[in-house]
Amino acid sequence: MIKKILIVNRGEIAVRIIKACRELSITSAALYSEADKDSLHVRLADEAYFIGPSASSESYLNIPKIVDLAKKIGASAIHPGYGFLSENADFIKAVEESGIIFIGPRSESVRLMGDKTEARKLMAGSEVPIVPGTTSPIDSIEEAKKTAREIGYPILLKASAGGGGKGMRKVASEDEFESSLSAAQNEALKAFGSSDVYIEKYIENPKHIEVQIIADHHGNYAHLFERDCSIQRRHQKVIEEAPSTFVDGELRQKLTSAAINAAKACGYYNAGTIEFLVDKNKNFYFLEMNTRLQVEHPVTELITGLDLVKEQIAIAEGKPLSFRQEDIYIHGHALECRIYAEDVDNNFVPSTGHIKLHRRPDGIGIRVDTGIDPFSNVSMFYDPLLTKVIAWGRNRPEAIERMKRALGEYKIAGVLTNIAACRWVLKQEEFKDGSFDINFVENVFMPLIPDKWKSEQAQDYEDAVSLLAVLLKARMSEPGPSGNKVPKSNNWTSKPYE
Amino acid sequence: MNEYVVTVNGKKKAFKMLDSGKVVFQDRELEYSLLKVSDYSYLLKIGNKVYDMTTTALSSEKFGFLVDGHYFETTVRTKLQEKARELQNIRNMETHHDLIKSPMPGMILKIKKNVGERIEMGESVVILEAMKMENDLHAPSSGVIKEIFVKEGNSVEKDTILLTIS
Repeated sequence: MIKKILIVNRGEIAVRIIKACRELSITSAALYSEADKDSLHVRLADEAYFIGPSASSESYLNIPKIVDLAKKIGASAIHPGYGFLSENADFIKAVEESGIIFIGPRSESVRLMGDKTEARKLMAGSEVPIVPGTTSPIDSIEEAKKTAREIGYPILLKASAGGGGKGMRKVASEDEFESSLSAAQNEALKAFGSSDVYIEKYIENPKHIEVQIIADHHGNYAHLFERDCSIQRRHQKVIEEAPSTFVDGELRQKLTSAAINAAKACGYYNAGTIEFLVDKNKNFYFLEMNTRLQVEHPVTELITGLDLVKEQIAIAEGKPLSFRQEDIYIHGHALECRIYAEDVDNNFVPSTGHIKLHRRPDGIGIRVDTGIDPFSNVSMFYDPLLTKVIAWGRNRPEAIERMKRALGEYKIAGVLTNIAACRWVLKQEEFKDGSFDINFVENVFMPLIPDKWKSEQAQDYEDAVSLLAVLLKARMSEPGPSGNKVPKSNNWTSKPYE
Repeated sequence: MNEYVVTVNGKKKAFKMLDSGKVVFQDRELEYSLLKVSDYSYLLKIGNKVYDMTTTALSSEKFGFLVDGHYFETTVRTKLQEKARELQNIRNMETHHDLIKSPMPGMILKIKKNVGERIEMGESVVILEAMKMENDLHAPSSGVIKEIFVKEGNSVEKDTILLTIS
């Protein structure tokens, strides 16, 4: 039995795991860096331990320190959340060797799926369709050019150790091949310490559709349907939903069985996600496997009624899955908007500062997973994800309307956020009719920044904010109640991100 | 001192404040009442309509507002200040120059241009690394790089002037 879990993460996912621990009467232990000493996850956990300086490499990524801490505090298990060390096979190995339970897959599964060319090879042999291309890194330019000609341009060059768009180059024709190859290799070497690059066919305007799978230590595998995560900017997802409007019964059957094949091929257990690209003709291709809990897991929880973190913990304890595949069905529709601290009109630069006001949306069908409250500091050290707003409805239009309402209710001051941009996406025809693909943000939204996307905003809101601006300005120059001028240092003259 | 001009989404709106609770806007007299919930939260009632607004101050004349999931940035000046500003703008256009400031604290990863090189408006000039992300900073105007004040690898505070364009 797991009695105490050390949560090796921060922000909203640490808070999410703490909540599951509390429901299971498991002691939650948080760790925190210098910059996070007053963070919400530290205040909510049963125990909190200082781990090191603000830089991630000295705190949330410091493997020896974290494993030592887990032993010292008598943690029976470690939950890695997502990001940071969650997909680091060396970390998982170190945890396994320390005798502490790792809440996630075995290190070997993570190692297999972490190497993109190895994973492609494995998938190709396990009845999981892969994007046409090579299954080993390029070692001869002539061979590579020949392969590229065979699959047909445009092609993509991708880093074997890669992810997140680094070491990735689109090549439109053979003339560009050599220069793009050396650029991709350099980038890959810098980002991942390996210059290995392979070739994939460039899929035109695909959708990003992924399948949640879950498996126990007894060989039971189940899928929890798909999520559509096509609304993304530079490979960073912004809006996700389940189910996908694009996936019909037949495609769902194919996707989910391919996903289960993929999980079986790497001897997977615990929760994981198989990502696919799906083209206009509903051909689908394996993209990669995320060997951890996903940021967007709540949309799956809302349509299935399961608690994935509690399932993860039960699996780690060696229990069988709490349900059978045939007991699970899709109930309604769920959407998630990721609220980032960023200045949309200023090229999405992250926005840092103290949260001055935080009023969360609520009411029927709304779930809010957040890592901040009015005492939080949003620093430059970590990912700018603040909160996930998740909406459920009996059908997609209802879920969309609920999400719009919830975004309208969300009050946040102290940092700039993408709330308004999320709301804008929900109103677009391409979003409403489901025709959007992974290039939607790049092709439709980006040309409208800065500010042009706001032109369709309600006229009476413009008038109202203008009047409020005047009243605030007038207040600044008027004598205060005591007859004195309002001092210059009042909140209205301070800068927003200090 | 009771007339103001607000610029929002590129539109200008003029207000004339009357006695407490009344304002003239677009030749109409409106009644309003304002409730300050906190420094960052205001309820404004105009006629019978209620607006629940979140505010983020930017400077003494610029305010950011979040209302019903819409974000607005407004610039508010007295009528006199607005006039002065317009005159200033005309003068500025004659001796045109501009600058790029760091929008947030971070590290200068790359400077793509040298002093004397020509750049076009919107072109990426500096890459600033912050919060693990590489952020492109774009030229606010076309011109020639006049001066560069930082080097690659430098850490900078928010609002540090990085370079000027003339």
